[in-house]
Amino acid sequence: MSTTTTTLADYRRREGTNRLGLWLFIISDAFMFAGLFISRFYLLGTAIRPELSQILGLVITVVLLASSFFMNRAETAMRFGDRKGFLRGTLITLILGVIFLIGVVGVEWQIAPFGPADGVAASLFYAMTGFHAFHVLTGVIFLFVVYRNGRKGLYSAERHWAVEASAVYWHFVDVVWVFFYPALYLIGIPGG
Amino acid sequence: MEQKIDTAMDTKKKEAYQVGIAVFILLIAFTIGEYWIGSIAVAWGWALLIISVIKAFFIIRDYMHLPRLFAGDEEEI
Repeated sequence: MSTTTTTLADYRRREGTNRLGLWLFIISDAFMFAGLFISRFYLLGTAIRPELSQILGLVITVVLLASSFFMNRAETAMRFGDRKGFLRGTLITLILGVIFLIGVVGVEWQIAPFGPADGVAASLFYAMTGFHAFHVLTGVIFLFVVYRNGRKGLYSAERHWAVEASAVYWHFVDVVWVFFYPALYLIGIPGG
Repeated sequence: MEQKIDTAMDTKKKEAYQVGIAVFILLIAFTIGEYWIGSIAVAWGWALLIISVIKAFFIIRDYMHLPRLFAGDEEEI
């Protein structure tokens, strides 16, 4: 029986390859969101947008941005070996992610004065927020796994690729919302 | 010598946290600006999209650490 120990140099090399793979996935996923974003302007132009709660839109956007901030803190903490700071930051990110999901699916979808089949603007709204919410949910699950593993002490300052990957994925979901927020809530007048 | 390394690490850590805070403040300020533009100027969609691009730039550079992708295998960014 032989044991294989990965040297730090090997780990760094593998991390570089993993990073490339993650970014390839993110770029390909971004094309799907770009398609939805372009569809919104192709079908509605800049004059019309779905009739939505402006305050709720602003609140959930701030919640998602705050979650990105805490994820960045969590990752930075792990990078410098601060396990407590990492766990705290990840947990706050997780909670904010769940609040965002409740805000979109549990509140916005319920109070919207239209259903998915009530016109182009309505269909686009549910498609865009639905796809995005699925990604947020995936991120929340990913963060939960990383948090649980972090509690077991599986990561260190030198070896924490999973933490970096979950953070990059989480920020990507945030970037998508940065474009979806004005497209759905701010550009144009309610109607369609 | 060891103390010197610790101090350098602390400075790096402090700087990393400061960048995170600065980017967050910027993002919130831009979002409030977006909300304000959206509520007063219906025809300023292009300005909102420019703000989105700026916000995305900061997230991708400072939170997603895009430069790490171009670093060497052993390099630490």
